[in-house]
Amino acid sequence: MQKASPNDRINLAQSAVLLVDHNRQSLDILSSIFHGFGVKQQTKCEDSQEAVHLVQKRDFDLILIDCSMPGMDGYDFIKWVRRETPPPARYTPIIMVTGHAAQSKVHKSRDCGASFIVTKPLTPSVLLQRILWLGADERQFVECENYCGPDRRVRNFGPPLGMAGRRSGDLSAHVGVATEANMDQSDIDQMFKPMRVSL
Amino acid sequence: MSEARLITIKSSLARQIQEPGGRTVREAERRASQEIEVHRAPAMAAIGRALEELDALVTEASPDSGARVYALASQIIDVGGYFDLGPLHEAIYSLCEIADRMMGQETWHWPSVEVHLRAARLILAEDCRSSRASENMLNGLRAVAARITQPTEVAAG
Repeated sequence: MQKASPNDRINLAQSAVLLVDHNRQSLDILSSIFHGFGVKQQTKCEDSQEAVHLVQKRDFDLILIDCSMPGMDGYDFIKWVRRETPPPARYTPIIMVTGHAAQSKVHKSRDCGASFIVTKPLTPSVLLQRILWLGADERQFVECENYCGPDRRVRNFGPPLGMAGRRSGDLSAHVGVATEANMDQSDIDQMFKPMRVSL
Repeated sequence: MSEARLITIKSSLARQIQEPGGRTVREAERRASQEIEVHRAPAMAAIGRALEELDALVTEASPDSGARVYALASQIIDVGGYFDLGPLHEAIYSLCEIADRMMGQETWHWPSVEVHLRAARLILAEDCRSSRASENMLNGLRAVAARITQPTEVAAG
């Protein structure tokens, strides 16, 4: 996906967003950011058990949760959403917000099934770009014994545009050149989703 | 082992974002940045209170205060993480790191906590601006944090 330009439009007016953070002040700041983004339906929640009840009762279009919630932490909450809720709640895009990630929790981060993990310091601009990225997210959803969540193998797609890749083998954003006038749709898709090849 | 199921999903968020109307990315960013400004002063006051409580914990040096030190430092990152705190963020993040490591090693070194707090105070006094002095302080904190990865040195310290 291309990085959104300042003149691109985003419509979050009809989106129902659940914001979960045990720190009231941090929750209010997050809520103000979403207000600025034009989100009218915000549900704020300071307790992950309450968030569980809310997700059981109604559908949300986007969930943001802090990683270090007391009791059921953000990782366990996401795992619960991915494994224990029926569709469409199970597939809800979820952004995990992390301040400091304790060493004991690092291993949980990769396997919890978050759609995106964003770390503080966090600016409105970065958060908006991540939401736009999620809006164009074409990753498939994986369900298996050890993992439920968006396909983590993003390296086949390269990093999102505008983000520096961390691997030496990260693919560039360059799209291949058309080989004929009326290409097959699958061939066109392939040009946008280059796969790794073994040489 | 069971087979993995791959499911293609088009989320409601993806559909809504593309609906006509809404606002431009520039406008959304501008409004959000404007909205959070009202929280800046209360956030800085909360950070000040957390630092005071951390100072009191250092003075008390109680052996079971490790978790509280970590909680307070995390609180500063949580609230301050939406504002540009420059070197203060790095200093407090480093405090979280060492507190987390020391709790994991079941050992505690109060002077390492104290030096982080002293640096945080000095950075705060300079309005969290990056400077040569703040960079020197951060280098010092990096050295302290690196030492805490080695349990034998901490125990000796």
